[in-house]
Amino acid sequence: MSSFEYRLPDVGEGLDAAEIITWHVSVGDAIVPDQVLADVETDKSVVEVPSPVEGTVAELTGAPGDLIDVGAVFAIITVSDEATHEPAPASPPSPDEGDPYATMAAPEAETAATAQDGVGEGPSAAGAGESDALVTPRRVLASPATRRVALGLGVDLASVRGSGPGGRVTKDDVHRHIDDAGSSSAGSEPAVADDPPSAATRPAPPESRDTTVTPLRGLRRQIAKNMVASWTSVPHITDFREVDATALVAARRTVNAHLADSGRDEKITFLPFLVRAVSIALATSPKFNASLDMEGEEISYFGPRNIGLAVSTDAGLFVPVLKNSQAMSLVGISQASEALADRARNRTISSEEMSDGTFTITNYGSYGGWLGTPIIRPPESAIAGFGKIEDRVVAVNSAPAVKPILPLAVSADHRLIDGADMGVFLRTLTNLLEDPVRMMAEDF
Amino acid sequence: MVVGEMPEGLDFLVIGGGPGGYTAALEAAARGRSVTLVDRAGADGIGGTCLLEGCIPSKALIEVADLRHRSLDFAGGALGFDSAVPPDLTRFQEWKNGMVARLSSGVRSRLTKAGVTIVAGSFTFTGPQRGVIELDGDAPPQHVEFEGAVIAVGSTVTQIPPLPFDGETVFDAAGILDVSELPERLVVVGGGYIGMEIGTAHRKLGSDVTVVEAAETILPEMPQAAQKHVARRASKLGIEVLTGHTAQGRDADGIVIADDSGATRTLPADAVLVAVGRRPATRDLGLAAVGITADPAGLIPVGPDGLAAPGIAAVGDVVAGPALAHKAIAEARVAVDALCGRPAAMVSTAIPLVVFSDPEVAVVGVTESAAQQEGMSVSVLRMPIGASGRAATMGSTDGVAEIVVDVDTDAVVGGVLVGPHASELIGELTLAVEMAAAPADLALTIHPHPTLSEMLQDTAGLASDPTI
Repeated sequence: MSSFEYRLPDVGEGLDAAEIITWHVSVGDAIVPDQVLADVETDKSVVEVPSPVEGTVAELTGAPGDLIDVGAVFAIITVSDEATHEPAPASPPSPDEGDPYATMAAPEAETAATAQDGVGEGPSAAGAGESDALVTPRRVLASPATRRVALGLGVDLASVRGSGPGGRVTKDDVHRHIDDAGSSSAGSEPAVADDPPSAATRPAPPESRDTTVTPLRGLRRQIAKNMVASWTSVPHITDFREVDATALVAARRTVNAHLADSGRDEKITFLPFLVRAVSIALATSPKFNASLDMEGEEISYFGPRNIGLAVSTDAGLFVPVLKNSQAMSLVGISQASEALADRARNRTISSEEMSDGTFTITNYGSYGGWLGTPIIRPPESAIAGFGKIEDRVVAVNSAPAVKPILPLAVSADHRLIDGADMGVFLRTLTNLLEDPVRMMAEDF
Repeated sequence: MVVGEMPEGLDFLVIGGGPGGYTAALEAAARGRSVTLVDRAGADGIGGTCLLEGCIPSKALIEVADLRHRSLDFAGGALGFDSAVPPDLTRFQEWKNGMVARLSSGVRSRLTKAGVTIVAGSFTFTGPQRGVIELDGDAPPQHVEFEGAVIAVGSTVTQIPPLPFDGETVFDAAGILDVSELPERLVVVGGGYIGMEIGTAHRKLGSDVTVVEAAETILPEMPQAAQKHVARRASKLGIEVLTGHTAQGRDADGIVIADDSGATRTLPADAVLVAVGRRPATRDLGLAAVGITADPAGLIPVGPDGLAAPGIAAVGDVVAGPALAHKAIAEARVAVDALCGRPAAMVSTAIPLVVFSDPEVAVVGVTESAAQQEGMSVSVLRMPIGASGRAATMGSTDGVAEIVVDVDTDAVVGGVLVGPHASELIGELTLAVEMAAAPADLALTIHPHPTLSEMLQDTAGLASDPTI
């Protein structure tokens, strides 16, 4: 019998940790390949983690609620030696690659020519004479110089996310790992009393029975990281318009009447009009459907208008992406966006359906918002926010008049987009929304 | 403690003057430690088995044998080089001994400059951080206390009961490398790397050579590709290889051997080389006094940092793994780090193995079968050495280059080279393994033409899709 250390595979795309929701097995349970060991919540969704091997559960690391790093030991499974000789299954839960973290106890010491590898690659045997117990983990790909850096810093290389091809770990990755660990631990430790409070030091929460502290986990953690990344790396400018929605309200009424007349039991909201208008405006203002890469020193202008739709769920914000919105009818947009939003709310949405966005729409009008300052989702260069259409008093021919007004805000990456660009984009968008017939002029 | 055993306080003690020992001494001195190196032969033992009687002397003999053989045999002997002059081993010995002495004195002077004290004597542990040095001559034993110690005593040749070494007819490798008269008929017991290296050299110098190996193949530890090419070449050279045979003893006519069925025969022999293995020289170290228990093979169990007990590290042939100088050197550095309180572990992942057979064999990283056992999905890129123009100009076209690639990560994880100068070429593959290079990294690196190193570029190039 030997031990199989199952390390948490990358169950999403480029994720670095997952939270254990439920264990489906207990220590001592006999398990078969592909049997679900646990549900884990990643930054994006809840995923089942199946066992890659047959055996008996020897140890489960962590309780529900614990955050497990990708690559960390997740479960230890005792496998029979017969099973050990079989090659590890080629298709662990990760959709796109083999499990680079699974480790198998080597039945034979055909590792005579392998250096004793003590640098953070799983447990090392205490002695050379104990080769039966020597777990020969799959090697973490890193150069000797990187290994030395990790050794000096006391970093377990297996816990470092490699940024290179095939997960190769660089020196920078090791330093980044330290930085990440440092910043997270700094947040969880109470401030030292002698230290004068600084702007960067979060005050310790007051000790009170009214205070509830919950761990920052899953989707919330990812949202937090994304927001900080955007806010600290992208200089935002935001501009606002109040759009006369009289014609838009009429147009929607007409479309819904058309649907009813043709016997279809569906109605559209204003969202398809907004998507459609944005999609057309992006064609005339390509900088808003683009991405700026400081490191590569280049700007990518995207052809398709893949519109991210911010969807609020119980768990937090999801942004499914409506691909190739420029090719869709109003009803098509309506149906596709409804389906995406449903999948986001019940958390069956795939990573793919939330990737490759080129511009995002957020509709804070749905909860009564008027004007907001949306935060861009890098690598996108802009985002539009729409408020609630409400009757407002506006000046018409020097006299007060009541009109339905659609408030609109656009935030843009000021590195790429100048104020004048913003003016052009907003004028186009406003014209399309104030007179929706203009939308008919463009290709569907 | 009895009166008169007042121990002398030492800081950093190194036991053994071979590559592991002298590296540990130099590294510790560079870290500001006060180092004492104890070797049975004192200053004359600096360099150890490798430099004084193993790797270096054998490579000298192989070089000379190759020079002679290649000049005679080149292009099938059609170029008319003169074969009349017999080799003069007396002059070889003079040259070789001078060269070895020069190298050894180079290491000695580095130790001296670094402030390392070299003591001649044999060391035995007597208790935690204590030991005794039995000094040469009539001097009383010297009791010492040390802060840190590195055990680097190496290994000794295994003797087999039917053929005890006598220094006249039955030799170990060191002994046969010292003879000044070429034996007419040499029997080599043991078809491992030492037997094949020295046996082949003797054949090339003119001896009739028979290799007796108990296993089913020569070079039993080596990959099949290596066994096949070396066996084929040995046959071409006229070396008689008897696998599945064991030495039984001597009679008046020579060496008695037996096959699997027990049938015996006698091989006439003027000299016999017994090269069946080595054993860690850990028996008389007093390991029990410091709580260390060697395994039945004599190996000292150590942790990843090389420590066998508090303040005591072990490196080289006395710990698990291949008995190789470069492994001992790498382990010595780790051990010194550990004993100096720094984070310590081997950061290298691959130890190349080299056999100076004909053709040369070099292996690094994981083999195809080992990778499969680990559940890795690998592909093997393979090209015969015969495809190399440079190898053709050298008249050495036997061999193969194999590169093992982990398919999932597109990383070179190992390789086998069989062919001329494989021992040099393996350095590039070792670097590729350490750096987790993709095959394309090798294929897209410009190699000089026409050279043997191009073989690696071309072999790695087999991985690329020609349509890309």
